[in-house]
Amino acid sequence: MMFSLAVMLLGVPLFFFISQWLYLHEADEALAVQKDEFVRFYLPEIKEDEIAVFNKLGSDVQIEKNESGIVKDTMYERSVYNHMDKDNEPFRILKSPVTINNKPYVFLVKANLVDNYELAKSTLGIFTVIIVILLAGLFIITRRLSITLWKPFYQTLEQIEHFEIDKNSNPKLAPNDIEEFNRLNTALNKLAERNTLIYKSQKEFIENAAHELQTPIAIFKGKLETLLQRPDVTEEQFEILDKLNDTTTRLNRLNTNLLLLSKIESKQYNIPEKLVMNAVINQKMDFFQEQAMAKNISINTSLEPNIIVNANLFLTEVLVRNLFLNAINHNINNGSIIIVLDKNALTFSNTGDSRSLEADKLFERFSKVNPSSKGNGLGLSIIKRIADNNNWKLDYFFKDNLHTFEVRF
Amino acid sequence: MKILVIEDEIEIASSIKSYLKSNDILCEMADDCETALEKIALYDYDCILLDLMLPDGDGFAILKELKKQNKSDGVIIISAKEALETKIEGFNLGADDYLTKPFHLSELLVRIQSLVRRKNFNGSNIITFNEIEIDTLAKSVKIKDKKIDCTKKEIDLLLFLIGNKNKVLSKSAIAEHLSGDMADMLDNHDFVYAHIKNLKKKLKESGSADYIKSVYGIGYKWEND
Repeated sequence: MMFSLAVMLLGVPLFFFISQWLYLHEADEALAVQKDEFVRFYLPEIKEDEIAVFNKLGSDVQIEKNESGIVKDTMYERSVYNHMDKDNEPFRILKSPVTINNKPYVFLVKANLVDNYELAKSTLGIFTVIIVILLAGLFIITRRLSITLWKPFYQTLEQIEHFEIDKNSNPKLAPNDIEEFNRLNTALNKLAERNTLIYKSQKEFIENAAHELQTPIAIFKGKLETLLQRPDVTEEQFEILDKLNDTTTRLNRLNTNLLLLSKIESKQYNIPEKLVMNAVINQKMDFFQEQAMAKNISINTSLEPNIIVNANLFLTEVLVRNLFLNAINHNINNGSIIIVLDKNALTFSNTGDSRSLEADKLFERFSKVNPSSKGNGLGLSIIKRIADNNNWKLDYFFKDNLHTFEVRF
Repeated sequence: MKILVIEDEIEIASSIKSYLKSNDILCEMADDCETALEKIALYDYDCILLDLMLPDGDGFAILKELKKQNKSDGVIIISAKEALETKIEGFNLGADDYLTKPFHLSELLVRIQSLVRRKNFNGSNIITFNEIEIDTLAKSVKIKDKKIDCTKKEIDLLLFLIGNKNKVLSKSAIAEHLSGDMADMLDNHDFVYAHIKNLKKKLKESGSADYIKSVYGIGYKWEND
């Protein structure tokens, strides 16, 4: 399209100059023939006193005295005023030195040329019309073609754009008439299938690994508790056993969270219901108030009543629980937590470390901001997963020394 | 009291057996469905602990069999499966309680006690320990026939301690009992200390002896000295 336009635009001046050159060439040839004719047939017969008559009869051929001393044929262009048109018109003029009666004369022959400007104008006009028609035609045809030709491609593109590997729905790319697109679809179908399979087996692996770990953890925990009951356990041994106990708890938490993560991704919790958000929060309040008290943390709430969201109850409870846990676990002694709920968002703000966290890594699995903390780096990624599941937007920001997590419904 | 432990993991079964032994609970073992069904047909148990994944079948088959035989043995499922559907299916098939692995043995013990209490029609809801009397239905505590003011949590804690009398309890075991499935998620078990302190104070004010002993400042033990 652009190419044809460029060719056309280049063609206009080219055509103009070529046609002008050809035209001049023709005019020059005609003048030369006229001169040759004069020289051959009339010059030997013409008398000096006949020159005036000759000049009077023909306006395009003249004989003048050779005053400028022309020695050979000269050809030039000049505008001459035309009394009929009342306009200057271009003329091509040939001057040739002749000898009449042994005196030098100049034979002059001129031909009317088409006005350069007129020529250019009409050339341009014709070309413009051709270009416009051509471009319009091209545009319509390519559009038509691209719509029909590329239709299967755009269908494929749309499906691929909406493909999410964790959503359990492979793109359904239908076969079509165009071989290349058929190949593309087959390749994409294979790619999607293979990736989904790999994704599934990896998810299953995590789930199975977590499941299989539960039995050894259970054995470990049972043996520890049995050991704890022995009457001869010393204080030092007791302390070690207690630490081991805490470690099994952490191990188990890791397991539970991994299982939870893989379950959020499966369809198990996809059934939404209408939930009164403030009720979900208040239900947990007593428990977490108690937890906060151990660190002397105050909890201030501003919950708008009757905020109804469409979400899965279990997952929403987990979300609220993890937000609470996060706000308590990463808080300082004598700190505070502010919970705000309105119809747009739920925010948990807490005091804590006096610097902002790295927001881009925060929601990744196993990204621990504070390596010494007992958290396993899964709590926030679970929050993120659940928010994603509900198409809620999760944001973190640090302002006025408060770490704030905001869930926008 | 006699219970049947249906569990294929020998180490778990033996831990359960040794923990419950000192509380006068006799454990019989079955490590597969076949043995379990045999024992169920022959004897009556106060309580059955049932693992769901057994080498020769599903634990649910045993629940169905119990129903078919019209047995009224109380059943506590002990399983690593924590899916809600599995729990619901278990309850629908007649299980009385569900404990997800891994669990604290102290938790298992109070669950067994509570189940047996509920199942015994001639038994009462009153638990007594010297001068302390707890009504598990009305959720009230009396000391020397005088009612004392306790929160639900404190009564829960008291029952847990008395149920595990003479046993050393770690803070995490108590925390798990008090906070249910949330316990795993908590970094900090200091709230246990606050509850113990409050309970101790209330018991002391009402003229009860001090039965709650601290073990090296880390664990607790209910002991009659």
